[in-house]
Order: sequence, then structure tokens, then C-alpha cells
Amino acid sequence: MSLNFYRRVAFGLSPHEKPDKDPLNWAINQLDTIPDLLWPGTIPTEKDLRKKYGEWVYGDREVLRKKFKNDKHAYRKAKDELRIKTGERYFELNEHAIRHFQTKYSKQPVFERFWLFWGNHFAISEKDFLAEFSTGPYQREIIRPNMVKTFEEMVQSVTTSWCMIHHLDNSESFGPNSKKGMEWGETINENHARELLELHTVSPNAGYTQEDVIQLAYIMTGWAHKWDRKNLETGDIWFDQEMHQKGDKVVLGVKYKNDAKRELAKVIHDLATHPICIKFVSTKLCRHFITDEPTDEMINPVIDAWNKSNGSLIEIHKAVITQAYKYNEITHKFHPPEIWLMQLSRMFDLNIPLSFEKMNYTFKIKPNNRQRQLSWILREIGHSPYRAKQPNGWSDLEVDWVSPELLLRRFWFASVELPMLVKSGNRSHGFILSCLKNNFEEHENMASLIDNFRFGTSDYDLGQKYGVICNLPGVLKI
Amino acid sequence: MNCTRRNFLIGGSTTLFLSGYFPKISFASMQKKNLIIISLRGGMDGLTAVPVIGDKRLKKLRKKLILEDVLNLNSDFGLHPKLEIFHKLWQKNQAAIVHATNIPYTGRSHFDGQNLMETGAHIPYKEKTGWLGRGLLASNIIGKGLAISLPMPLLLRGVPQNNNFFPSPDFVETKLIDQIYNEFKGEHNELIKSTLDTIRQRPLSMQIATDSDDRKKLALEAAKQLKDQSGPRVAVFDLDGFDTHAAQGGVDGAHADELEEVNKIVTILHENLGQAFDNTLILTLTEFGRTIKQNGGYGTEHGYGSAILMAGGLLKKSQVYTDWPGLKKKELFEGRDLNSTIDSRAVYNSAMSVCFNQDPEFLRKEVFWGDELPDLSQELFKI
Repeated sequence: MSLNFYRRVAFGLSPHEKPDKDPLNWAINQLDTIPDLLWPGTIPTEKDLRKKYGEWVYGDREVLRKKFKNDKHAYRKAKDELRIKTGERYFELNEHAIRHFQTKYSKQPVFERFWLFWGNHFAISEKDFLAEFSTGPYQREIIRPNMVKTFEEMVQSVTTSWCMIHHLDNSESFGPNSKKGMEWGETINENHARELLELHTVSPNAGYTQEDVIQLAYIMTGWAHKWDRKNLETGDIWFDQEMHQKGDKVVLGVKYKNDAKRELAKVIHDLATHPICIKFVSTKLCRHFITDEPTDEMINPVIDAWNKSNGSLIEIHKAVITQAYKYNEITHKFHPPEIWLMQLSRMFDLNIPLSFEKMNYTFKIKPNNRQRQLSWILREIGHSPYRAKQPNGWSDLEVDWVSPELLLRRFWFASVELPMLVKSGNRSHGFILSCLKNNFEEHENMASLIDNFRFGTSDYDLGQKYGVICNLPGVLKI
Repeated sequence: MNCTRRNFLIGGSTTLFLSGYFPKISFASMQKKNLIIISLRGGMDGLTAVPVIGDKRLKKLRKKLILEDVLNLNSDFGLHPKLEIFHKLWQKNQAAIVHATNIPYTGRSHFDGQNLMETGAHIPYKEKTGWLGRGLLASNIIGKGLAISLPMPLLLRGVPQNNNFFPSPDFVETKLIDQIYNEFKGEHNELIKSTLDTIRQRPLSMQIATDSDDRKKLALEAAKQLKDQSGPRVAVFDLDGFDTHAAQGGVDGAHADELEEVNKIVTILHENLGQAFDNTLILTLTEFGRTIKQNGGYGTEHGYGSAILMAGGLLKKSQVYTDWPGLKKKELFEGRDLNSTIDSRAVYNSAMSVCFNQDPEFLRKEVFWGDELPDLSQELFKI
């Protein structure tokens, strides 16, 4: 088995790791339990960060805008102070550090790859202040704990999470015949219902109609944040009977009797166990780990595992890895920029993220450039993980990641930025060669391409070496 | 830099010399024609950009989204106050609108819709190339596409050697590419390899550029490249954020902010293309319009019919070109959306035929599978 399997299903091998005698078992054994988050710094809870979100929007919207309505300059200054006080510019940086640290040091890197996958399947795209305060903790507290449960349980948790409900506007969706809907003349917002069908479960392959979307939106009415004057839209999620559409509903030909908050769990059960959903999500998993255009042959064993285990994610993950192993030598898969960065960081033991002591934040001055570094790099290589442009998340297809500028960004990172991230003990040519040997069958050929610079250890020399190595076909893809 | 002999000859005082020898018409046909598409992702609300002022129903259904200070276009239609440049160009017959138009897609999904607005097809994800890419290929115009975005938009795929511009924070030594180029072997590395080819052929100003945070700089560079007689003939800008389910607002809301971005880009292109603006068409593209009625969050839902904003010297005249379907309940699509009475692909097909000097019938067959798309070049463009 090629060494590239460690990059197909994980992040390659760090200088302290050696290839396993049985790579398939090595990978499969990583999926039964949830590894602890290793970041030694602060890991705030979702609830705490939502409180900060509330302080930020309340402070801006209800206090500063009114106080400084005639003084643009003073308003801007006060707003910047509020940013510092609430950590508005800080928490996303900390989340990126937590995430990167995990993929770099986890003893279960294969599990971490699935964590990235599911976070992107149930993506939170750029909206309001979600990336600043909420998307990170959502990944940690909603996605991660469900990875040893069933797909259905994952969908239930995601659908009633504050983050997804805010992301897809379900708090603004009123049953037109509900008490509040009638009183206020309000109606449904279809956004969340549509994405629950299209992106999270059955996909358009199920052939649902506009009426199905409306009916599902009716079922979902009432699942909303609890609004109050102080917390505004950042209150906990609850089921507000007074927003809920009365009467029976029909989605994809199945009738759901008027049953208030229990309707949602029933419809999610039917969607998450629908054969078209199972095929859609299995295909997506194979696309992520095997190849852009997976065949039925590749996908079917994953579907079988899904059916046999009633949607146990542990069993589904194991089936995906088994398939990835089986097809490792005959398929190719391109790595999107963030995974590429994580792999370089692990394989060459780069000095990212910043140490947790230095990531510490005092809420008194704005984050410094070093604290912003990792997030800045991610943005510049085109893959800021919590800022997908649309609710369908980041693409898994090579064509979406190959353009002159996107490739140039990789050259830029590897030749300009990366040398500054090489630890002082790792600047020798021998270190690079040992990392190559640990991770690539073709390490001798790779070494020959940088042989001209073998005596150089300056940033420039390292830039020339890493600029070449990191952009070779066998590193950009497997 | 880009100063080839050819564009030197047509610039400066030699122009006079040339025009003395050739009749004006043949000089004009020598000029390169530019087609610029601005993608408005999320569903641009045609009725916010170009409100129908003659119909009170709109105001009634959108009490919280009322526009004041609408710029008048004619007795029936106005223009959003943030679209100043279109209003200015309108006076000079260099801006026009196609209204109540959309791609033939009624599914109301962003992802399917955006896929179809770019592929021009009927079934989402079926086609892997964009109508603009296919149009360039059919017209044998290779390596003349420029995207102002970090990824390559689907719209331009289908023709090889497209370029994009979105420079990194620091200068990148492209000679590194020479050292690894030959390592890209086999079919599975073809896409990366051909992209490396494109990088190696970039004009100097693009090679040395840094920093893409400044939208103005991006539009300026695009104008510079498009102005160059040997430069790109097609440019694609990408804007998102039109999906205003909540707080859409009127003059200053979320939709207005996005329209302001469109206005900025067109303003910079107009100022910096100079005379090349006379040989340019700028058209917007979106996946669908939005519902007539405001929703629970003072926003609007995914709808159907929208509008195309157009600017450039290749427009025939200032006009709102439409077969207006009306806003009465029974006139709306499924009782809720502005209908689409013009397949927007007919507009894009006609625009390509003008800019690429191609027979629209030929393009219709090559690009849109012979779909029923009337030729609108006579009505909309200078030919």
C-alpha cells in the first residue's frame, strides 16, 4: 500500500510517526470514539460565545447606533472598542487554531477528516456574525458528538441547533394560520426547509415539489430562537407553539398529523432514512475520499453498510475507509487548500498554529498579526473554512479549486510564507529529506528537484525548496 | 508590458494616419469587442433594481421595502438610486434593461439555479461547461477569457486557457513553475498543467500585481486588460449576497448594498475603458428574481423573473426591453413571482453573437443545443 493512503484519509505522517504495518486497520480503528480536543488554550462553549454574540449585536444595534446617530466618527470608534470588548475579531481566530491543532496532533486523524467532512456537509455559510461567534462551537458541539451516533441523530441535532436555525432564517418563519402568524400577518420563510431537503438529506434527486418545500416549512415553523429585548436573536432555541402552522402536513407523499413539536422528528426520520438520501450522502462521502466521480461499484458497499447498521455513522465511516483503501492505487483525489495546508503542517511540523499562550486574548487590545496569521493564510489560499459562500459549503471537485490564481496562492504560501513557519531545529536539508521519505514513495525524485539548494538554509532557500515540493502533482493530489 | 505593435498602431496620433487610409467602418470592425458579465449570486431582485412605478400593487405588497428617490427611466419604470452610473449612461443611450426575464428555471434553489445560469442548460449539474466558455470555443476565441475571482467560474469553463485575476499579498516567483512543470504527467494532471501554461503566459502587469482586497484595483486591472487590443475579450465578475431573506430594506438595505457594488464596478469600467467602452457590452446574470411579497423577516423569498442590467457602447439605445407580464395575482408565476416572458439566454446568445462576430443561429446551435432562442441583436444591440 502506498504511503499516499495516509494523505488520502488523514493528513500524512508527522516526523514522529511511522507507517503502520496494517494501514487499513490503523485507519478503521480510529473511528469508534470521539477524540478529545487537544488545544491547550481556551475552548469556549457555544452558549458562552452566543452570549458574546448577543453583547455585540445588542451593544451595536441598541446602544451605539442610537447614541451616536449624528456622529459617524465617534460611532466608528465606539464600535471598534466594542469589537475588542466582545472578542468579535478574536474568536474565529481561536476556532481556527483549535481546528488546525486537532488535525495536526490528533491520534485519530482519520476521525478528524470525517469531522471536516460533516462540518462541510452541514455547512454554515458566511452570514451575519456566525463565523465570528458561532460556526466554530457548532462544529465542536453539534457536529462532533454526533459522529458516533446515527445520521438521523446528526440531522436532528443540526436542524434544531441555534447556528443552523439562524443561518437559514427559521426563526423568521411563521405558520400563516398560527396565532402569531394571524396576528402579525406573517408567513413562512422557506429557506431552512429547502436546504434540509436539498443539501442535508434527500437532494433534488428525490423529485420534491414546491408544495413539499412549503409543507416541510410548515412542519418546521415554531423552531426558533427565544427573542427578548436583551438577547435579541441570540436566545436559546425552543418550540414556539404560537408560530406553528396548525393542521396536517404532507411531505414527499407522507402525511404528518397535526402534532406540534413532534412533527419535526418524524419527518426528519423519514428524510434521513430515505433511500435517495442514503445514496446521495454515500456518494458525497466517496467523492470526498476516493475520487471526484465515484462509480456505483465504489458507492454500493457504503450504502450496504448504511442499511445494515441503520445509519450508524461509525459503520458508514468504516465502509468509506475500506473503499478508499481498496481504490487507493487506481484513483486520484485533489486536496482543497485547507487540507493541503493541514497536511503540510503535520508532515513538516510547521510552526502553526500559534502557541496557546500567545493566542491568549485579554479583551483590551485588538488581536495582533501573529494571532491572525493562520486565519489570514487560510483566507489567502482561498479556503477560510467557516466562510463558505453558500449553504452548500466548499466544493469537493478539483475543477472548482484549479485556477491560475488559486494555484499561484499555493506557490505564494509555500515559497513566501512557509519558510517563516519552519521551526529553528528543522531548517536543515536533511530534515526535509526525512519528511519526504516518511510520506512519499517518490521521495528520491522529489529530492532531486531541490538538490540545487541542498546547502541553503536561509528563508529564501527554504522558499525555493518548499515552493517546489509543496506544488508537485503528488502533493497537490494523491 | 502589453504594448504590442498592433495596439501601438491604433493608439495615439497614428490613429489619424490609419483612419485616413481606411474607411471608418472597416476601422470599427477591426476593433476588439468586449463582453463583460457580472454574476449576481443569491437571486437579484429585479423589482428592487428596476421597480415598476406604474403599478401600485408592488408598494402594497412590500410595505417595509419601499424605495424613495427612485431615478426615473420612463413613465413605467424607475431605477434604484444606488445605480447612478446606469442612470447617467441611460442619458447617452449606453444603458438599458431587459425586464421580466430569467433562465428557464423555476425550481428556486440557489445551487441548481446558479449551476443553470452558468451552464445555460435545463438539468442541474448535467453540463460541466458554461455557456460563455462554449460560446468562445465555438467562435474559436481561445485564451481570451478573464475571471475577476479566485476560483474559475463555471460560466467560463469549456474553453481552455482562461485567466483569472485576484492577486496574492506578495509577489510570486513564477519561475518555480518551470522547475516542476514536467512532473505533471498523465491525463489526471492535465487540468493543472494547462492552468500552469496560462500562468506562464500572463502579461507582466498581472504577474507583478499584489493585493486583491481592493475591489477598485481589480476592476481597474480588468479595464486595463480589456482595453488592450490583444488582451482578453471576455471578463467575468462575481458578486454574491443578493439572497436577502431578511432585512432587505429599501434605499439603504442589504439589497441596496449589493447594487452599489454593481454600480462601482460599472463606474470604474466606464471611466477606465475610455474609447473601448464604445465596443463593450456589460450584462448582469442571476439565478432568479425574488417574490413580489415581503416575507416574515422583511426580506423576500426565492422567485422567478428578474432583470438584466446592461451598459456599454454596443447597446442600440436606452430602453426597458420587456414583454411585461403584470403583477396581478393571476399574472404572477405560481401566484407569487414576477413571471419571466423572455428567456434570458436569448439576450446572452445575441450579446455573444455581437461581441464574437458570429451568426446567432450558429451560436444557438453550438452553445444552447438549438433551443428556441429568438435573435434579439437587432432590438438590443448595435450590429
